[in-house]
Amino acid sequence: MKNNILKYLLVFLVFAGTITSCTKDFNEINKNPNAILPDEASARYFLTKAEYRLYASGRYTYWRANLIHADRYAGYFCFGNSGSWWNDELGYKFHGGYTGATWGLYGGYFGVINTFLKLTQQGGDFENPLMEAVGKILEALYYQQYTDVFGEVPYSEAGDPDIKLPKFDTQKDIYQGIINELNEAMATIGDATATGTGVDDLGSNDVIFGGDLQKWKKFANSAKLRIALRAYGAPGADFAETAINECLSSGQFMEDFGAILEKDNAISQWNSSSYADIWHRFGGKGSKWKVSQTMINYLRDYNDPRLEKYADPIPGGDISLKRPLAKDNEEAYNKFPKRLDFIKSLFDEAKVEYTVENVGDTIFNISIPENTYYVGQPTRLGSGIKSMAKWEFFSSPDLYVIGLDPDDNNIAPEIIMTAAETYFLRAEAAVRGFGAGNAQELFTKGIEAAMALYNVDGSDYIANADLAQLNGSDEENLEKIAIQRWIASYTDGFEGWADVRKSGYPKALSQGVSDPDIYGLGDIDGDYPTRMQYAGSAYNLNGAHVDEAVARQGADKQNTPLWWQK
Amino acid sequence: MKRNFYFTDLPKITVRRVLNSILFLFLLFIGTSLSAQTIHGNVKDADTGEALIGASVIDVETGNGTITDLDGNFSIKVKSPSTSLKISFVGYDDFVLALNGQNNVVVQLLSGTKLNEVVVTALGISREKKAIGYAMTELKSDDINDAKETNIVNQLAGRVAGVNITKSSAGPGSGSRVIIRGNNSLSGNNQPLYVVDGVPVDNSGFGSANGSGTANYKRTDYGTGISDINPDDIESVSVLKGPNAAALYGSRAANGVILITTKKGTGGKGLGVTYSTYYTMETPMLLPKYQNKYGMGSLGQIDDDLETYKTHSGSWGPKMDGSERLYWTGEKKKYTAAPNNIKNFFRTGSNFINTLAFDGGNSFGTFRFSYTNTKANSILENSGLQRHNFNLRAGANLTDKLSLDAKVTYFIQNGKNRPDQGTEGIMAYVYGIPRNIPIADLKDYQNDDYSSRSYNSLGSNPYWILYSDRNDDRRNRIQGFTKLTYKFSDHFSIMGRIGLDNIDQNIERVSAYGHWFYPTGGINFSDHKTAESNMDFLAMYNTKFTSDLDFDFNFGGNMMRRTFSSQGINASSFRIPTKATVTSTKPDKRYPFYNPQGEKRINSLYFSSQFGYKNFAYLDITGRNDWSSTLPESNRSYFYPSVSLSFLLSELLNVNALNYSKLRFSYAKVGSDTGPYKLTNSFFLDGEGYLGRTTLSTSSTRLNPNLKPEQTKSFEIGYETKMFDNRFYLDLTYYSIKTNDLITTVPVPPASGYSRELTNVGEMTNKGIEAVVGFVPVKTSDLTWDISFNFAKNDNRLIKLIEGVDNFVFTTTNSGNLVVQATVDGTEIDGKKVEGHFGDIYGTELMRNDAGQLVVDATGHPQRTGKKVYLGNYQPDWTGGMFNVINYKNLAFKFLIDARIGGQLYSGTDAGLDASGVSERTLAGREEGIVVDGVVNTGTEEEPVWEKNTVNIPIQEYFGSISGAASEYIYDQTNIRLREVSLTYKMPSSLFSKTGIKGVSIGLVGRNLMFFKNALENFDPESTYSTSNFAQGVLFYNLPSTKSLGVNLRVKF
Repeated sequence: MKNNILKYLLVFLVFAGTITSCTKDFNEINKNPNAILPDEASARYFLTKAEYRLYASGRYTYWRANLIHADRYAGYFCFGNSGSWWNDELGYKFHGGYTGATWGLYGGYFGVINTFLKLTQQGGDFENPLMEAVGKILEALYYQQYTDVFGEVPYSEAGDPDIKLPKFDTQKDIYQGIINELNEAMATIGDATATGTGVDDLGSNDVIFGGDLQKWKKFANSAKLRIALRAYGAPGADFAETAINECLSSGQFMEDFGAILEKDNAISQWNSSSYADIWHRFGGKGSKWKVSQTMINYLRDYNDPRLEKYADPIPGGDISLKRPLAKDNEEAYNKFPKRLDFIKSLFDEAKVEYTVENVGDTIFNISIPENTYYVGQPTRLGSGIKSMAKWEFFSSPDLYVIGLDPDDNNIAPEIIMTAAETYFLRAEAAVRGFGAGNAQELFTKGIEAAMALYNVDGSDYIANADLAQLNGSDEENLEKIAIQRWIASYTDGFEGWADVRKSGYPKALSQGVSDPDIYGLGDIDGDYPTRMQYAGSAYNLNGAHVDEAVARQGADKQNTPLWWQK
Repeated sequence: MKRNFYFTDLPKITVRRVLNSILFLFLLFIGTSLSAQTIHGNVKDADTGEALIGASVIDVETGNGTITDLDGNFSIKVKSPSTSLKISFVGYDDFVLALNGQNNVVVQLLSGTKLNEVVVTALGISREKKAIGYAMTELKSDDINDAKETNIVNQLAGRVAGVNITKSSAGPGSGSRVIIRGNNSLSGNNQPLYVVDGVPVDNSGFGSANGSGTANYKRTDYGTGISDINPDDIESVSVLKGPNAAALYGSRAANGVILITTKKGTGGKGLGVTYSTYYTMETPMLLPKYQNKYGMGSLGQIDDDLETYKTHSGSWGPKMDGSERLYWTGEKKKYTAAPNNIKNFFRTGSNFINTLAFDGGNSFGTFRFSYTNTKANSILENSGLQRHNFNLRAGANLTDKLSLDAKVTYFIQNGKNRPDQGTEGIMAYVYGIPRNIPIADLKDYQNDDYSSRSYNSLGSNPYWILYSDRNDDRRNRIQGFTKLTYKFSDHFSIMGRIGLDNIDQNIERVSAYGHWFYPTGGINFSDHKTAESNMDFLAMYNTKFTSDLDFDFNFGGNMMRRTFSSQGINASSFRIPTKATVTSTKPDKRYPFYNPQGEKRINSLYFSSQFGYKNFAYLDITGRNDWSSTLPESNRSYFYPSVSLSFLLSELLNVNALNYSKLRFSYAKVGSDTGPYKLTNSFFLDGEGYLGRTTLSTSSTRLNPNLKPEQTKSFEIGYETKMFDNRFYLDLTYYSIKTNDLITTVPVPPASGYSRELTNVGEMTNKGIEAVVGFVPVKTSDLTWDISFNFAKNDNRLIKLIEGVDNFVFTTTNSGNLVVQATVDGTEIDGKKVEGHFGDIYGTELMRNDAGQLVVDATGHPQRTGKKVYLGNYQPDWTGGMFNVINYKNLAFKFLIDARIGGQLYSGTDAGLDASGVSERTLAGREEGIVVDGVVNTGTEEEPVWEKNTVNIPIQEYFGSISGAASEYIYDQTNIRLREVSLTYKMPSSLFSKTGIKGVSIGLVGRNLMFFKNALENFDPESTYSTSNFAQGVLFYNLPSTKSLGVNLRVKF
C-alpha cells in the first residue's frame, strides 16, 4: 500500500515537473500568426497610408473635419437649406464631438507618418535617408495644416519614445522647424531620382509622385514658399524672408504637375471617404450641401468657365413659402417679410427671372425657370431662415465633385498642392518685392494651371476678366491673387480657410456676419473663425500642456487669432 | 505531453454519435436495474416536515447506497428484507432504521446539535461550511428552477449580497453583466469566472456587447458563454465572492467565481423520468410617457410641400384637431393622435422551455440524460431564439477503488434578428415616431425602387429593420469532461481529469438593398471558433495528527490551453437588389478575412492545506503558481497565496440559544495575466489598399514587452451566527480589495505616436460590507415562513492611473456632451479635489452666472457650458433584497423584492424624446412659448450686467437647447421591484398511486412584475444596451425591459 502511494506520487510529481518545464514553447505560442516580420516587408508599404490618410481619411473624420468644418469655414460649401439636418450655424458653435473629430484626424495621422519616419530613419528597420526625406516633406505639410487649424500643437517632443506627455510648441517654432525639415529633405534628395531599386523604390506605393524624387524636391520647395509666405509678417518671423528668397533663387517649383491624389471610392468608406460617399450614402437631403454664394458669385460674375464644373444650376421650379401665423410663431411671423426680401435679393443679385405671387396673406408662390441659373447659398444662415432657404434655390456641387454614385472613381482628386497655387505664391512674392519674377506672367500661368485642373479653356477669361488682371494697387493685386488661389483651392477646405484668414480675402467671408435674423452667429458672435478649439481628449490626456499653450496664445476659443494673423 | 490530448484534435462528435451513445447507455441501465427487493421511502425534517434532498441512504448489510431526490424520495434495492438502512444528512443526526420486512418507509430526521452544512468550494472540494474562512453563498436547484430565465445568472439578481446583475435589454439569449464586490479592472470585462463541475467554461461573447470601444451607435448582444448553461441541469450554484474564496482558481478568478454543479444520476432506484415544461409570456415592463395632443411638424406648423414636410419629423406640429391635412404618404388624412403607436410596435413575447430527463443507477454506476428545448420569441416581431441542450452525465465504480465520472453536453442555438441597440439601433427609429402616425402605416416599408419607405426624409423605417435587414447567428458548443478518481484509502486519493469546451459561432448580418445608410446594401459573415481544454490532477490527503488536530492537504496541477480563430467576409453592393447573398455582391466589393488559430496557455501548480483544531479553529493555507504564455519570460511565472482562519465561538461558549457562531479572517493575493500577442508591436497587412496598393500598418496601441501580471490583494473579516433553533441567522462581512498594476490599454496623447498604450497602470480599491439576516417567524408542522434580507455596499476608488492622466473614459456621446469614466481619486478640478470612482458621469450643464441664475443669450435661449462637471456615478450606493419562502402543506409561495438604491445614469433616450417633442414633458408651453426664467448679459464678458430675460421662445427651441445639456438628463437610478414570485403546488403522490407517476408539481411564476419605486419615469434603469464596461450608466434607445408571467409543470415517472 505505502509503495503504491509512493509510486503514484512519483507519477504526479513527474506530471508536476512537466507543467513547470513545459513553458519553453510559450514564446513561440505567443507569436501572432498574422504578424509580418521586418525582413518580409519594405518601408514603401507604409508610405501609401501616410499619403492618403491625411487628405482622404475615413468617413468619420472626412465628414466631421473636412465637410462640417474646413470646407464650410473656407466658404466653399453650406448646410442649412430647408432639407438639411443642420442649420449653417453648425461648426460655428463649439461641438465637442465634431471638433474633437478634427483633433482626432491630426492625432491619428501622426502615428501613421511617425511610423514611416521611425522605420526609415537611421537605425530604423528599413533605414533609407531618401525615403526619410519624403516622409519629412509629408510631415512638414501635416504640421502646417495641424498648427493652422489649432495654433499650438505638440511638435518638438512629439514621437519621442521617452516623453509620455509632449509639450505644445508655439506656432512660430513649428513654422521655423518645418522649414528646416524641408531644407534638410531637399538637401538629402539632391540629384537622386529614386529611393532605391526593387522594394527599396517607393514606386507605385507613392500614389502622389510614383517615386519620382525630383518631383518631391520641387513639391518641397513649393510647399516651403507656401509656409514662408504664411509666416511672412508675423511677429519674429525673420526666417520667413530668408526662406522666401531661398525658394525663389532655387527656382525648383511644381510647374507642369501638382501634388494631386487620385480618389479611391471603391475601398471601404471607413478607410477612405469622399464627397461621393457622404452625398450618396444617406437618403434624402439631410447630409447634402450647397455651394456658397461667395464662390458662385466670383465664378458667375466673371464668366469663369469653371462654374459648370464646380456647381450645377439651381433646380428652381414652383415653390411656395408660407408665412406662419402670428399665433403659432410670432417671431417667424414678424421676420418673414425681411427674410423673404433677403431671399429675393439673392435672386436679384444673380439676375434670376423669377416671379412671386402672393396668395392671401400667407402663401408666396415663387416661380423660377428650372436648371437655368446659378445661385450660391449665403454662408452661415441661421435657424430662423432655414425653412425658407429651399433646396431648389441654390446650386449643388457638380457631379465631378460629388460623383454619380458612392463608388464613382471618376471624380475630382484630392488637392494637396496644385501647380496653380505655386504660381500664385510666386506672383504674390513678386508683388511683395521678392525675386525678379513678373507678377502678371506668374499670375496668368497660375490661372491657366487652375483651369487645366478642371479641363476647361481659360483663354477668354484670362484675356477679359478683370479678376485675371493685376492692374491695381499692390493691395488690390494681392486681393486678386488671394481670390484666384482661393477659387483654385476649391474642395481643399483646410488650405482655403487658411488663405482667407491670412489674406483677409474674400472679404465677404472674413468680415463675418452680424444680423441674427438671417445668420447664425455661433459662439463667436458672428466673427470669422480663426482656429478650432482643442478637443476634450487633449485636456484629458495632456491637460497641463494644453493649459500652457492656452496661456501663451490666448483663450481656447474659435476667434482667438493665430500667430501668423497678428 | 502529447498534443493529442487536446479536444480539437479528436474526431468530431456528431449529434448522431451522441444520441447513439445515449441509447446504448439507456439499454444498459434498464438491463441491470431488474431486481426483486426494492424499498421506497421518503426522508423529511422532523420539525418542518420539509423534504430533505440529497440525504444518504445506505444498506448496512451490503454497503450499497443512494441519496434522496428533490422530494426527499429514495428507492434502494436490498438483498434481505431484514436489513437496516442508515440515513444521514449534514446538519442532522444519523438515523438507523431496521426494515423488518417493510418496503415503504418514512424517515424523519432531527436537526443535529451541530450544523455541519457541506458546501462545494474551489477545485470542487466539498467542505463543511463551518470550516471556511471566507464568505460564500450557495443556491439550490429549486431556487433556480421555479421562476427561471434563459440566462441562469439573472436568477442571482437580488439573491446574493454583493452581486450586482445588470441584464441586457436585448431580449432572449442576450448577456448579463455580473459584478461581484465592485469593478476591479478598467479594461477587462470584470466578469467572474464560471466553473461547471470543476471545469472552467468559456464566457466570452461575440459582437460588440462584450467588446470595448466607446461608440454608442449600434450594438448587438449575442450573449456570452454562460447563457448556454441549461438551468434544468443545475444542482447548485455557489458564489465565491472575491479573491479569498477563489484564490485557487488563479488568474481568471480575480473577479470571483461562480461555481455550478450539475445534476448526476442517483443510484439504486431504477429508471427515473422527469418532464418539466415552462411557459411564460413577456410584455414590456415600462414604456415612455407620451403626449397625444400635437403631431408631426415644426414650430407649430405643418409644411405643405411634401419634401420639406418630411424633414420636420418631430412632433412639434399644430394641435391634432381631427381636420383633414397632408399626411406623409401624400394623401390627405384626419389629423388625430395615435396614442398606442409605440405600444403596438411590440408583440407579446414568449419563452417556452421543455425538459425531459432520465436518470438511474445501480451499484456499478449512475447516469443522467436530459434534453431541453427552448423557444423564445422576442417582443419584437420576427426576432427570437431557439436552442437545444443535450446533456449526458455518467458515473461508474470501475473497481472498488477506481471511479469514473464523465459528462458531455451538446448545445445548439439559433438566434434570429437580434436587435441592434444604440443611437442607430432599432428603437432610435421607434420611440420618436410622430404622435399622429399609427405604427401600422409603416408596415409597408419598401418603395418600388427597393428603397425604404418612411415619413421622414432620412427614409428610416423600423419594419425595414425587422423584415428586410437580416441578422442570424448560430452557435454550436460541445463541452465535457472525464474524471478518474483512485481511492488508495480513506485518507488518500488522486483524481485526474480532462475537460473540454468547444464553441463554434457564426454570425450573418445583412443591410438590404435600399437601406437608408447603405443604399446598395451589404452583407457581413463571420465564423468564430474557440476551444479550451483543461487537464488537471488533484491529490487529496487527510489525517489526524492527534485526536484534536485534523490535517488535510491537497496538491494539484492544471494545464489550460485556449485556442481561437475566425474567418469571414465583408461584402457590399448587391447586383440583384432582392438577393442579399455574398454571390450577389459586386466581386470587387468583397473583402474576406481569416485569422489563423491563436493560442494561449496557462500551466499551474497549487496546493491547499487545512488544519482543524477540536472542531473549534481552522487554518487554511493555499498557494498557486501560474505560468502564462501571454506574459514575457521574466514575468511569466507568478505565485500567489491565501490564508484564512476561522473560530467557532459557539464551541467555546456553549450557550443553548446559540446554535452556531463563527468569526473568520482571510487574506488572499491573486495574479492575473492578459490576452495573447500583447507584448511587441508588429506589422500587419491591410485588408484593402488605397488604389489597390499593398499597404502595411502597425497597431496604434503601443504594446509592452515588460508587462507584469496584475495583482489583486484582498482581505476580509466575517461573522456568522445562528440562534434560537436556527430561527435567526446572520452573516456579516467586511472586505477590502486592492488591485495593482492593472493591465490596461490607456489612451495617450497622440503626439506620442500612438493613440493608446498597453501597460501596467495604477491602483483600484473596493471596500464594502455585506450582510445577510434571516428569520423564521413561523414554524409549525404545516406552515413555515422564512424571510431573509441581504444588503451590500461597496465603495470603489481609482487611486492612480498613469502619469499625467487623471481619468479613463468608457463612454462618450456623439456630441461629446457627456462622458462616463473612471476618475483618479483626489483629482483637482477647479481647485477642488474630487473623489474618483469607476463609473463617474461628467457632462455639460446649463450655463449659470456666479449668482446661480440661468444665463440665456440675447435671443432668449438657455446656454450650455463647454466644460464638463461631475453629474453622478452609475454604481449604486447600496443594493439589497428580501426573499420570502412560505410553505404551507404542499404549497410553496416565494417572492423576491430587490432594491438598488442610489447611483445615477444619463438617459440619451429621454433627451431625444424631448428634442423630438413626443414626450409628455414637452406639452407645457406649446401654444404660448416660454420665457426662460433666467438672465441675459447686457454688459461685456469681463464686466457683465445681468438683466432679466424677457424674450419668449417657442417651446421646441427651448427643448432643442436643453436637450443638449447632459445635466438635464441625469436621473437617479433608485428602484425597488418585485423581481420574482412563484407559487408551487406539489400534488400529493397518493393521487397517482396507480399511474406510475411519482410526483407532479405545478406552479405559477412571474418575474420583474412591477416597480414599487422607480425614480426614472420612462425607462427601467437597470437595462443596458450592452454588458461591457463601455456601455454602462447611459441609456441610448434600449429596448424596454420585460415582465414575464407564466406556468411551470413538473412530472416525475
